[in-house]
Amino acid sequence: MSLDPYSPAVRNLFAAPSHAGTLADGTTVLVEDQGMRVELSARAEQGRLAAMRFRVWGCPHLIAATEWVCDHYEAGPVAALEVFPAARIMEYLAVPTEKTGRILVLEDAVQALGRSLAS
Amino acid sequence: MTERMIYLDYAASTPVDARVLDRMREVAQTNCANPSSTHAAGREAQDIIAAAAGQLGRLLNVDPDTLVWTSGATESDNLAIAGGARHRAHRGKHLVTMKTEHKAVTDMFETLVKEGFEVTWVEPDGNGLVSPEVFAAALRDDTQLASIMFVNNETGVIQDIEALGAICRERNVLFHVDGAQAVGKLPLDLSALPVDLLSLTGHKFYGPKGIGALYISDHPGCHVEPILFGGGQQRRIRPGTLPTDLVAGLGMAATVAAGRIKADLEHLRGLRKALWDGIRSVDGVTLNGDPNGFPGILNVSVEDIEGESLLLALEPICVATGSACNSKSQEPSYVLRALGRTDLQAQSAIRFSVGRPTTMDEVEFAAARYRDAVARLRKLAPGAVA
Repeated sequence: MSLDPYSPAVRNLFAAPSHAGTLADGTTVLVEDQGMRVELSARAEQGRLAAMRFRVWGCPHLIAATEWVCDHYEAGPVAALEVFPAARIMEYLAVPTEKTGRILVLEDAVQALGRSLAS
Repeated sequence: MTERMIYLDYAASTPVDARVLDRMREVAQTNCANPSSTHAAGREAQDIIAAAAGQLGRLLNVDPDTLVWTSGATESDNLAIAGGARHRAHRGKHLVTMKTEHKAVTDMFETLVKEGFEVTWVEPDGNGLVSPEVFAAALRDDTQLASIMFVNNETGVIQDIEALGAICRERNVLFHVDGAQAVGKLPLDLSALPVDLLSLTGHKFYGPKGIGALYISDHPGCHVEPILFGGGQQRRIRPGTLPTDLVAGLGMAATVAAGRIKADLEHLRGLRKALWDGIRSVDGVTLNGDPNGFPGILNVSVEDIEGESLLLALEPICVATGSACNSKSQEPSYVLRALGRTDLQAQSAIRFSVGRPTTMDEVEFAAARYRDAVARLRKLAPGAVA
């Protein structure tokens, strides 16, 4: 068993997040909980997420998970935000169970973005 | 491309000096005897151990007979505190230590509390120091033992051991000093210091891991009960077969250190200054500890940065978030909390520790990497300018 607390996926996503930033012309939500801050920004066009960006104050797992989430939803339908693949993220990134709460903060942010885009 | 690893964690452990390694190899290859055996090979092993005690004794300026070999500083701390407190328990059960001590000390005190001892935990000031007045006020008529760390392993703060020890002598309190970060790094003359017990370990000053020692002064009333049982070795204070090669290695590390402490300190001062000069301009950076502390350690916190992400962003630099012994926990450092740092400040703390092999290029690279990492994480955080 590796003593490295980070999987290669976390290391790669943390080192080079291609979705970092804020969309000036997009819809932006900010969720703060458990000492973490997740900001998601999206621009919707014809029912699809044309672009997604993020900012995070948190641990490497949360930064990597948020980058993965942006890549996952971008170019897909806005309605897809209603389904958050928590288990898939936990498994793919090998997030330790004690950090589950941080992934749930991300889920809250995704749901908040979905509601904001729908209103 | 994989970047070259830069090791800046010498307070956690140091590489074994080549002369130490040579001595250990020589002993391991030429003497396999149990030093307790009375035959010729056993007596030869005893001579090797006596020679190492002489080397360590010269480094500390003490009689070699006052040294007891242990497995390292944790065992030495446990033996000194538990052994000293239990030996004097019939006189009183009050003990004194600081909140910023190493876990090997604090956990031992917690254990003694379960045995019915009472502990006063002295608070440091904002720099991590304890004044003689504050320390004296913590002592009571029934205080039997006090334990204070010489050089703090997280912040590098150096306590005024001479003044604190003098108070203990005056009050007839057994005085233990955790010297793990001091021995071989600072010039120490234990014969001139009012210290009753001092713990040390080999791997903090370029010796091997798995070997340490406890100095037990010949001052009247200074004695410890054993915490291990099973043989009569080392005057029954610490039974068990001694690892002759490791003991010889520690002895050689002491000799090497004795010849270069001054040069080492000069080298470390230059490195620490360059590192701090390269970091101090970062907005929101705070130095944790005393500016006049041990020059091998630089502990800094920074505002608005998540510590775990900072640590990863600093790679390939090997540094510590807290003490190595505690760093698997993501809890903020209890040492820095005791200095009045907030959870966020303590959680963002990075301990850089430099050593003999560290180069100026390495610390300059580390400072640049620190500046870049903080800038990158701040840009990534909500509220940053796009």
